[in-house]
Amino acid sequence: MTQPMLEGFKVIDFTHVVAGPHATKILAEHGAEVIKIEPLGGELARLLPMQREGRSAYFIQHNVGKKTMALDISTKEGQDICHELIKTADVVVENFSPGVMKQHNLDWKTLKKINPDLIMCSISCFGQTGPLSHLPGYDWIGQSYAGIIDLLGEPGQKPVFGDIAFGDVSTGAHAFGAIVTALLHKTRGGKGQHIDISLMEVLFSYHEMGVQLYDTTGGQMLVQRSGSYHGMLAPVGIYQCKDKYLFILGVNHQWEGLSKAMGREDMFADPRFSDLTTMGQHKDEINAAIEAWLDSVGDIDRALELLRENRVPCAPILTLAEVMDHPHTKERGTVRTVSDPIFGDIRIPRTPLRFSEFPDTPNLQAGTLGQYNHEILRDQLGYSEQQIARLETDGVIASKNI
Amino acid sequence: MARKHVLDGVKVLDFSHYVAGPHCTRLMAEAGADVIKVEALVGDSSRQLPVIKEGRSGYYIQHNRGKKCMALDLRSKEAQDICHELAKQSDVVIENFTPGVMKKYNMDWASLSKINPDLVMCSISCLGQEGPLSKFPGFDYIGQAYSGIMGMTGQVDGPPALSGMAFGDISTGAHAYGAIVSALYHKANGGGGQYLDMTLLDCLFSYHEMNVQVYDASGGQMVPKRSGHQHSFVAPLGLFKCGGRYLVIVAIGPQWVNLCKLLGKEEWVDDPRFADPVIRNENRDEISAAIEAWLDTIGDAEKAVKILVEDNHVPAAPVLDVPEVMEHPHMVQRGIVQTVDDPKFGKVKIPASPMKYSQFQEPLELQASSLGQHNEEILRERLNYSAEQIASLTEAGVLGSKDN
Repeated sequence: MTQPMLEGFKVIDFTHVVAGPHATKILAEHGAEVIKIEPLGGELARLLPMQREGRSAYFIQHNVGKKTMALDISTKEGQDICHELIKTADVVVENFSPGVMKQHNLDWKTLKKINPDLIMCSISCFGQTGPLSHLPGYDWIGQSYAGIIDLLGEPGQKPVFGDIAFGDVSTGAHAFGAIVTALLHKTRGGKGQHIDISLMEVLFSYHEMGVQLYDTTGGQMLVQRSGSYHGMLAPVGIYQCKDKYLFILGVNHQWEGLSKAMGREDMFADPRFSDLTTMGQHKDEINAAIEAWLDSVGDIDRALELLRENRVPCAPILTLAEVMDHPHTKERGTVRTVSDPIFGDIRIPRTPLRFSEFPDTPNLQAGTLGQYNHEILRDQLGYSEQQIARLETDGVIASKNI
Repeated sequence: MARKHVLDGVKVLDFSHYVAGPHCTRLMAEAGADVIKVEALVGDSSRQLPVIKEGRSGYYIQHNRGKKCMALDLRSKEAQDICHELAKQSDVVIENFTPGVMKKYNMDWASLSKINPDLVMCSISCLGQEGPLSKFPGFDYIGQAYSGIMGMTGQVDGPPALSGMAFGDISTGAHAYGAIVSALYHKANGGGGQYLDMTLLDCLFSYHEMNVQVYDASGGQMVPKRSGHQHSFVAPLGLFKCGGRYLVIVAIGPQWVNLCKLLGKEEWVDDPRFADPVIRNENRDEISAAIEAWLDTIGDAEKAVKILVEDNHVPAAPVLDVPEVMEHPHMVQRGIVQTVDDPKFGKVKIPASPMKYSQFQEPLELQASSLGQHNEEILRERLNYSAEQIASLTEAGVLGSKDN
């Protein structure tokens, strides 16, 4: 078999929690050598659940395949080690608050002098510039500023949010794409460069409809949180059938199928429901008709069957446990199992990239804190055992079996 | 030769519609790739989505700038021949039909890889090319329902909330973009072409940055459920009300200490009931009560955010609506909203590409094409069709075009 697509690339990874780690995890899964530099106590993800004997399964999910070093980058020695590693690296990725890398002499201006061919990717909540850039950020902070949370929940009530990393995972994917593009650019004769990716901008691009709608109507059409049904289109929404919920979409050509499934061909013929605009105006009536029909069916499986017979897009709203146990996700390997020295087998989401030339996801483990300190200093930078021991005594590097 | 952008010279043949595929090829066009979008004679269905002006869709504009458009009847042998000829000289083919449709048109990977073995072909679908659900039509929301995302959003005891946003499409477009460029890189290094099977389901499921391993590693003891205004497993992380507005506070890291001091609860720093984010969650009502009491004394969400973030470095943010985002000085300075020119709409504002390269700082000036706008140009310049051939294809209804 051919070598993995990114084999031979060296990535120095200063990232933590999710957005950055998702990007470098994909790089590692494609064969790049990822050296992850953590603070002496480990990064924040190591504190998040599930915990077992001090080890975090959360950390494992986002860090399989990376070689871990723990060193104090506020010391001159720590910085020297980073500079030496970066000299022969292809990529540096970091997601500190803007300014932190500079404080440690690891900003783009410094690093490009050390390695002009370098690709550096900075991921942050707000971006490297602008009035908010210096503020600390998390996914939900970005979701708030990007107008995402405002759109979740019942109209007129407090918004809700999901325990889900909408911003981090997608930002990691955008960053991965940008990094590989810059690598391709370099092999086609281009130079190294700095990439600035912000969570908030990725989250803002989720408004696949709202921004141009607001803008081109001169502010007349403003998307708002609309509870279980779509705020403008109908029928699009979450409907109840007995004690279960299902999603149904019946706009454009699917409206005919839905009318048939409900035995309401009369509605399809009704001029009030003839196009997207008029249907949106009568959405309450349409949604009520669907709820009434579901009450009469009284069984979600039967309802889904009737909808599918008429090619109406629909889905049961699954709990996470149901997703992980579903025959479809099982057949596709959507959930993958990785092995860990402390947890044993543990299930995580599979990285969504599927290549015909590389159908198997590599079997990779997540490093313990500072697991590769010695190996990397010795093999890559030629440090002697005495030098390494001194760094340990001086508290520049550390390791722990977590 | 100087490149206009990072993907200058990369040729993409694009059969995608709605958002997931178009977001991917939009990112490619914005990075300088030469994208030919092939639509059905009636056009991509997203050309009917609002806002509509003189028959033209603002929605379509957002997702399709910088692509050259052809409109062909893919059921006809002639149109398939044209696509095969274009595929022969393309680096990338991308599509997001329901699985099976490309095969029906003789444009599946088995057919196209014979025509061009170096091709990178990317199929995007809601639920994948195989598996029991693959044959069903899919949309972002269908993927959200099947991935456990929709079930996680909403009030604890109420129905799930519909998001009204393309969580799956945008992320899948980005993952597909990264996969395609990786495959191009592999090809540039002599690795040959390959096929990519991207799904909304995989991408949406990977949003569970915490839930999957928590459920699994706790042996099913910790079941992620929709949690309304507070995170299920860690605290403090949630939405709070202040003076008629909402704000989000996230103090699960070292900022917890700062928050305790701000709330006048220094004693909590060493209290074992608040030792880490998970233990704190068991006692979160007490924390929330203290936060709410403090917010009541402030009475103004903006001011509270300022005190939290700027004075005490506790991550917090006001919950903004779309217009507030678009007008925020930070977003204005960053250019998060991009203004594009359109022949019918004039200026249209859309979200800008999140990818910012130091070597290519100015976004390319790109417009969205009308249906079939480049039929002639592509057939003539790429495939050497004569004017007569083109006229007869148009007459036979193989080619079509429309001014919107």
